[in-house]
Amino acid sequence: MQRVVWLQIGFILSVLVGGEGLLLFFPSPYQIKAAVHGLSSVLAIATSTYLVHRIYPVLRGAKAAWSALPNWLIAAVATNLAAAISGNWIYMRYRGEGGPRAWILANAPGFHNVLMEFKEFISLFPCFLLTVAVFCAYYYGEQVMRRRELSQFFVALILAAWIFALIGWMSGLTLAKLRFV
Amino acid sequence: MHRQTHSPPSALAPTIQPLVAEEARSTAQTKPSGPLIAASLSVLFAIFTLMVTHHLSRLTPELERAIFAFGAWIPWAHGEGPGGNIGSYGGKETLALWVWAASWVSFHLAWRRLDFDLRRWLWCFTAALALLTLGFFHPLADPIVLVLARWFGVIG
Repeated sequence: MQRVVWLQIGFILSVLVGGEGLLLFFPSPYQIKAAVHGLSSVLAIATSTYLVHRIYPVLRGAKAAWSALPNWLIAAVATNLAAAISGNWIYMRYRGEGGPRAWILANAPGFHNVLMEFKEFISLFPCFLLTVAVFCAYYYGEQVMRRRELSQFFVALILAAWIFALIGWMSGLTLAKLRFV
Repeated sequence: MHRQTHSPPSALAPTIQPLVAEEARSTAQTKPSGPLIAASLSVLFAIFTLMVTHHLSRLTPELERAIFAFGAWIPWAHGEGPGGNIGSYGGKETLALWVWAASWVSFHLAWRRLDFDLRRWLWCFTAALALLTLGFFHPLADPIVLVLARWFGVIG
């Protein structure tokens, strides 16, 4: 890849990771939970998005695109799993006494009753879908490139995982802006 | 630019033969689509479990306690005060994981040699996933859940 593209990726990633890293200094007793969940979610979004960029050549049957793809898939599963587990960790405080849930229910109940109830399950979907994509990549190997119906299903799995990750990420950001832990 | 070869057609024959043989070999090695359908259908089952347990846990305190019990092995399910707990969410996740694992293994064993039409399954899978996603959207799902719960006598 061109050097300027790597520079751009590096810049955006450092802004995102640096921004989440700042949470460590946020004046809240739950700053570590918040930073761990923020960082793992940023990495989950970054790996899933990069994966989506890599699958376009797969759909077109470009053999060279296959080489590192299974490794990127595993990275995406790992980061999405980390985001889900850290999400469970910070969810404790969300529900805790005087936590964001109590505040949101008192001031803007729709954000909990609709958005959060939706987000807490949608955010688990990428782990499921990407695990199936990993299975597909290892079980069928390069057949995924050769067989049109297989590559279409494979790409659909990854695209769906990315869309759910994005919805989860946007709702998480909204809730954190509304009331921080 | 295409490279032109000026050799007579008979000279091509030996090169064509191995290609045909290779193609036949790769077709023979083609793995059936059964295992992929098993893997993706089990995901739909797991998500369906999440949806059903989530709506059940909101109906009555008894049902919420029952679902909580499945996730009681997770330390984060317990806890009080500002630190909070994940409540019955751990039970929903545990049940979904069990359903996922059990259905994946059994469908895989049953269908590992079968070949299905993946193109048709892609449409079914996408539609089912979209429908299940809407099932987590309370303004849409709640009226249906309430009708079903009354019909089954779960609530009065």
